[in-house]
Amino acid sequence: MNRVLLTGNGAAAWGARLAQAEYIPAFPITPQTEIIETLAQWIDQDKMTARLVTLESEHSMITAAAAAAVTGVRVFSATSSQGLLYAMEMIYTVSGWRAPFVLVNVSRGLASPITLEPDHNDVLAARDSGCLQIHCSTCQEVLDNTLIAYRLAEDPRVRLPVIVNLDGFYLSFTREPVLLPEIESVKNFIGEYNPENMRFRAHEPMSHAVAVLGGAPYSYFRYQTHLAVENGLAVYDELAKEFEQQFGREYGVIENYFADDADYVFVMMDSFATKAKDAVDKLRATGWAIGLLRPRLIRPFPAERFRTLLSGKKAVAVIDQNISMGMGGVLHSELCTALYGQPQTPEIVASFIGGLGGRDITVEEFFEIAKSIRHADEINQTPSPRLLYTETELREIRKLQSLANVKLHGFGETS
Amino acid sequence: MNDKPVTLYRHMKDLPSTHLLGSGTAMCSGCGGLEALHEIYDIIGEKSLYVNAAGCMTLLSVYPFTPFRGSWLYTAMASAAAGAQGVRDALDILLEKKQMKADEDMQVVVLSGDGSAYGMGLSATSSAMERNLDFIYICYDNEGYGNTGQQYSGATPHAARTSTSKGSSGFRGFKKDLFSIWAAHKPTYVATVIGSEPVDLARKIEKAMQLKGPRLILALSPCPTGWDYDPQDSVEIGKLAVKTGIWPLKEYVDGKVRHTKLPKQRLSVDEYLKRQGRFNHLYQPDRNDKLINEIQIDVDDYWSEVVE
Amino acid sequence: MYRIRFHGRGGQGMKTASRILGTAFFLEGYEVQDAPRYGAERRGAPIFAYVRAAKQTIHERGVIQQPDLVIIADESLASVSSAGTLIGIDKHCVLLIVSNESPESWKHRLNLDCTVLTLAYEQLDIHQISYAGIVCTGAAARLTGIISNETLQRAIKQELAAFDESVVANNLHQALDAYKKMAEHEACVQKSQEISADNYQAPEWITLPFDDANISAPAIHASANSVQIKTGLWRSFRPVIDYQHCKHCWWICSTYCPDGAINVDDSGQPQIDYDHCKGCMVCVAQCPSHAISIIPEQQAEVAAPEVTAIPGDKR
Repeated sequence: MNRVLLTGNGAAAWGARLAQAEYIPAFPITPQTEIIETLAQWIDQDKMTARLVTLESEHSMITAAAAAAVTGVRVFSATSSQGLLYAMEMIYTVSGWRAPFVLVNVSRGLASPITLEPDHNDVLAARDSGCLQIHCSTCQEVLDNTLIAYRLAEDPRVRLPVIVNLDGFYLSFTREPVLLPEIESVKNFIGEYNPENMRFRAHEPMSHAVAVLGGAPYSYFRYQTHLAVENGLAVYDELAKEFEQQFGREYGVIENYFADDADYVFVMMDSFATKAKDAVDKLRATGWAIGLLRPRLIRPFPAERFRTLLSGKKAVAVIDQNISMGMGGVLHSELCTALYGQPQTPEIVASFIGGLGGRDITVEEFFEIAKSIRHADEINQTPSPRLLYTETELREIRKLQSLANVKLHGFGETS
Repeated sequence: MNDKPVTLYRHMKDLPSTHLLGSGTAMCSGCGGLEALHEIYDIIGEKSLYVNAAGCMTLLSVYPFTPFRGSWLYTAMASAAAGAQGVRDALDILLEKKQMKADEDMQVVVLSGDGSAYGMGLSATSSAMERNLDFIYICYDNEGYGNTGQQYSGATPHAARTSTSKGSSGFRGFKKDLFSIWAAHKPTYVATVIGSEPVDLARKIEKAMQLKGPRLILALSPCPTGWDYDPQDSVEIGKLAVKTGIWPLKEYVDGKVRHTKLPKQRLSVDEYLKRQGRFNHLYQPDRNDKLINEIQIDVDDYWSEVVE
Repeated sequence: MYRIRFHGRGGQGMKTASRILGTAFFLEGYEVQDAPRYGAERRGAPIFAYVRAAKQTIHERGVIQQPDLVIIADESLASVSSAGTLIGIDKHCVLLIVSNESPESWKHRLNLDCTVLTLAYEQLDIHQISYAGIVCTGAAARLTGIISNETLQRAIKQELAAFDESVVANNLHQALDAYKKMAEHEACVQKSQEISADNYQAPEWITLPFDDANISAPAIHASANSVQIKTGLWRSFRPVIDYQHCKHCWWICSTYCPDGAINVDDSGQPQIDYDHCKGCMVCVAQCPSHAISIIPEQQAEVAAPEVTAIPGDKR
């Protein structure tokens, strides 16, 4: 194995190459574009055997991806943000086709206002689609989980698209050391794609993705997709174990960073979670019993695992890099749903929303979050959800507003 | 027109008398689109994969029944052509890698209504032509969003009443020229057909099957439900569309447009319009000469430029 | 952990500079994180890139807020606050500016109490600005005291593998020259004190107040207020009109200037608005009487320190 510096985008491209994806429908969008450019270059240089086709939209791209997957070839595609949303009709549709392929999403905040930097509202919009979601926090994870994703997608117990998520900028353009597995060992791990009878052949006619009449058959097909997504949890476990045996790197459904003996736990996803690790290290150095839990799988949601891992904890801080307008953090809601009414469940599950559009979350903010949940535990009162925003940031936006000729009369502080 | 191609289809009796497309579908009785489709299906054959866009024909296959002897994939309204791209590419990859026998290959066909073909699906279709995708695109054109109750679409003709153009003048716009939009892309083949002219239709499908690349079969599809006439008149109305010159039968190949059936003595558009409820307001309570004239002049202008 | 930030302009090779340094650290057995930071990439606009290097796994992410070493490849950016060159520079930090002026004068001018170093350079031709980055890499490698001459060479060859030999040779030459020049400052960069959970400055969190949509929608109620942005900062060379040779054709340079930064004054003289001229030199290429020449920005600043009349701003 060769250890090299790779960006998150480079790692995703290597994942597709090592998995020997045969077909790559593509459409450019920042910050994903480098992935398809890299693949196109490899194909041009005969370093990779695959067909890359640029469609005219992500909607068409996902249609072509799934159509090829159900015809019986291994498919890779990638998108981000507005692109994922433009494709959303098909994202929901093709899970029902039970089309196994891997889609890398490079997270980027959604318009409006339009931005380039990351948060997770894009990928979470696909939350209920029937696609599985693996969220990565390092470039190594992006590569390894792209490989695992093919096994997961193609497993007969699952047979669904898998989205591998990485943060724009923080991973997409950031180089880190990545161990590149040998292609032979990857072949050994992934194997050939076997579509069984789910494919198109002239002598095996199939009418696929047909309509149904009535709620009962509809419910059957939808529940079946749900059950297949749920199967993903146990299948991921198996695959992660197999992966570890072969490659030596361990991937749990939930990454557990010093949470076992902790009283207090941060819960968050994707690359900003490594910042939480840094905070955990520093807090532990000063005597805190604190840890981090980071779900790799968001769909299926590892509810039972969270119940076990959080049982008996004093307080939990969920830090969401997303916002469901009018409700709050998505991960917070999901975790509360998983925990509610369970014995030994932590009484304090506090919500923090930050990192929208790539806003940094400083280590000092993690310290402050830790303090506030400890305090909440002491007074036994869950704090209101907090948007991570500082006075300085508000002052800055006021300056921008005055440059934009926005009449600021009527808001509290200055009138 | 000296180099007449060899064809199996010179007369009605040359056409198949038993049909490949299964009966039992949910299409309306008298559906002109289904009539065209089954005629087309007979010629293309069962070694085919139809990629369907959302429209009336979404309901051809309703679980657990399908009329197709070959294969079918339902996509969505905007991206059937992209679905055809994915299937065609995957088949090519499998053939190249010898993971599939050559005789397992299929003709990839898009099946779409006018709502998708003239509107939402046009971007994906245009792009498929850019990429010279090897596929046949069948549009059953019933001149409105039929499956949702015949609202006007980009294919609705001037003055037609639809459920979103119920005023005394009907639809104010004009039918989009999809034939020319396709031809402007310089694809392999573009043809208009109609189920009521089955020999002309069969020859065109026969020709299309001998070619590779993007091929459009644009089938005007008389629609008893949306056009408001008795289902038994479907064929008659189709014939009148040709005889009045409203639906020119033509093909584009090698950069040239050729008319395949010249109406010798064109009938007045009245003969076509007055048979359909969607044009009733042109005749009742009073005859709307202005609008009828507009339609007639439009047709006359078209044919005045046709030199064969 | 080492935290190093490079500042320069789009086109000066800042991304490559950070990558070469990252690779050099990596070859020396360090864990590394390197990344460029740009919005929509624009040639000439200020950009930066950063490198983290440590013996253990790096958990910290994103823009470096507390750097140990800051390198400014283009001295004209040093005092531009919007370029963010000085963010987080404290006493322990080392600041290296590629400049022919003395460290003392920069220290004074920027009002800093950290170590300031300068690296003298020969005036680069307009076609050579892409070498600015490599010079910085060579210097940074020496200042860390971690990276050997051989490792630096290996890193350069590895990162520039796609280029032909002469380009690689030129880069090696530039980098090693800077590496040599920094010998006396070898290993002057010190790792900063890590922030402690016991003793830190708490963020001043606020509860975000509700604002009416007419305030809180992303709308600008102004016309052409973009002239407040001084894109003249993107320039490292400037066009200068020689009025002796200008034929007062009135419109050619003015019409073709993509930024509308040349306006003709009442007396019929074209005036270049240096606050906004990005230095593309379209005017130089199009002037029929060849009356516009190119000079390096530093020379121009000495010759004409301030341009007061800016026709573009008056509209």
